[in-house]
Amino acid sequence: MKSNIYNWFFLILRRDLLMAFRRSSTYITPLIFFLIVISFFPIALSPDQDFLRSLAPGVIWIAALLSSLLAIETIFSEDFRDGTLDEFFISNDPSFVLVFAKVLCHWLVTGFPILLASLISSLILYLPVSSLLPMICSLILGTFFMSLLGAIGAALSLGKSAILSAIIVLPFSIPTLLMGTAAVSSAIDYQDYSGFLLIMGAMLAIGVPGLCLLTVEAILLNYE
Amino acid sequence: MLPKLKVSNLSCRRADNQLFDDLNFEVHPGQNIEIIGSNGSGKTTLLRILLGLIDIGNGEMEWLDNENNYNNFRSIDCFYQGHSLGIKNLLSAQENLRLSSYSFGVSEEKILSSLNRVGINNHSSFASEMSVGQKKRISIARWLLKDFGIYFIDEPFSALDDQASSLIVEIIEELNAKGASFVITGHRPSEITSNQITLDHEV
Amino acid sequence: MNKIWNYIKDWFIEMGSPPLFFKWSSKILPWLLFISITVFIVGLLWGLFYSPTDYKQGDVYRIIYIHVPSAILGQSIFMFMAICGFITMVWRVKISGMLLKSAAPIGASFTLIALLTGSIWGKPTWGTWWVWDARLTSTLILFFIYAAIIGLHSSIDNKTKADRAISILSLVGIAIIPIIKKSVDWWQTLHQPSTFSLTSAPSMTPDMYQPLLLCVLGFYLIFALLLTMNLRAEVVIREKNRSWVSKQFLNLER
Repeated sequence: MKSNIYNWFFLILRRDLLMAFRRSSTYITPLIFFLIVISFFPIALSPDQDFLRSLAPGVIWIAALLSSLLAIETIFSEDFRDGTLDEFFISNDPSFVLVFAKVLCHWLVTGFPILLASLISSLILYLPVSSLLPMICSLILGTFFMSLLGAIGAALSLGKSAILSAIIVLPFSIPTLLMGTAAVSSAIDYQDYSGFLLIMGAMLAIGVPGLCLLTVEAILLNYE
Repeated sequence: MLPKLKVSNLSCRRADNQLFDDLNFEVHPGQNIEIIGSNGSGKTTLLRILLGLIDIGNGEMEWLDNENNYNNFRSIDCFYQGHSLGIKNLLSAQENLRLSSYSFGVSEEKILSSLNRVGINNHSSFASEMSVGQKKRISIARWLLKDFGIYFIDEPFSALDDQASSLIVEIIEELNAKGASFVITGHRPSEITSNQITLDHEV
Repeated sequence: MNKIWNYIKDWFIEMGSPPLFFKWSSKILPWLLFISITVFIVGLLWGLFYSPTDYKQGDVYRIIYIHVPSAILGQSIFMFMAICGFITMVWRVKISGMLLKSAAPIGASFTLIALLTGSIWGKPTWGTWWVWDARLTSTLILFFIYAAIIGLHSSIDNKTKADRAISILSLVGIAIIPIIKKSVDWWQTLHQPSTFSLTSAPSMTPDMYQPLLLCVLGFYLIFALLLTMNLRAEVVIREKNRSWVSKQFLNLER
């Protein structure tokens, strides 16, 4: 039973992915929400092509932040109510690995719809093709970091409103927002965007262990 | 035989109430402990402290390890079932058992035979289509998957009909004969043979 | 030397107990009140009225004597909160959780004062009430983080659990705030290539510098005063059912 933690990691992935795909709203709703937010900008501001093109990196990133924040809201609540989450903390195995498995699974389920939605949005916001690759790379890194932050926000406000979780998480997502939009904007001007992606990767590298550990502490608070 | 778990002088305070004070008990193999109390008397809190979900405040807990020494960390395989059943609605009965963290290294036949033992015959129907009683039976089936040392079950007999209750009593007695112990909570004493601990605090 | 160290350690352990803290703070409170208000007022009066006029900005720059100390305090208090949070999570000391909770509104207020005074400074020098300058923007974000901490604490009913929750949040904050500041700085240079900052301090002569230092000291002392007062109130509220509280305030034996 020594390498239990690997078995458990993949078990959680399997179980959560299976459940996510049985309930189609899990992966459809982030996509639709993203597109709704995007379409508000031309509607509320102006449908002019050049105007939208100048706004596009920022608008796509804002929609990505909001979608991943709202999507991660329920990551722990169902398992906590069920009693399934208790099993993570009772065993002698490191629970932050298991929390990471849940976050990874959640990101896989909600990240791809967001990527797809961003591709559609780049079309409707007239984003030039040169910036598509950096947009996708930055969104992959950025939405994963947002999932980690969202997980700790969800754990701290377990059982409370989504808007509380939003105030907790959004200020911390500003660096991701800045780096992500910078990556896309500099790609539009044909400049080197790799530095921004590296910084986002570095934030992920620190964020994965650090935020998962803190998330474990935050979930354990709810058992008192 | 040596007790698997020794608890001494355990006490706990919650929001200005002393839930329990100076609890001492031992869990011997094959013997059960029943924690009895009314709602809010601290039964679930006690279980959670025993399992390490909540920090132990005052007192000591010692677990037996493989070399017959007593330690603060737990090396015995334990099973925990909380107040909610741990059964996922979106998964079928068989998947609920297969995708449980208690089923590592367990073969499919063992899963199916456990389900049959508790009286669940339609293995592939989703748990969302089953009644609460049937879901409770699925959660009991998990007890049979492996030989656990100690079973910590929160309120196993609540909201159960007589047939299911006697099924549980049967299974507990079978597992006792194999050396497993049960630590269960409840509102009133049940039919299993056990040492009873009553928790009540002045309201 | 060892004796002093042991004395300090014993004092820390004693302070962890709410009734002992309350007694100790009752003793020092009059002194703290006197010293902090004196230094605060002297520093402010010196800076606001008696320091020399800047040749570039005129008398408007005097708001620096409120703006800079508030900004410094806003950031230091967050560091203090992160340390308290760490102590709470690692050693489960209840009083450091209460310290954290008491310090949060004070830090938020200082940050808000820094924002408002920065905005007031901007109006005569730049003509607008707000500019997305790097320092003002990162101070605004710091204010949001303070608001999140206060909001989270108020939303959790079990206050001990709430203390632990904001400890976790302040630890996340202290890790991410440097990243936020650096990225906002970079963002601002992108959009305003001149190294000109709205609320740039005038080059300071010692005449101007000394009252500023005194003001900073005064603000720190005021923070200590407000923190002690807040913490005393918090301790009494949390322990309101314990006998020492009723003995203290009502002279009753429970």
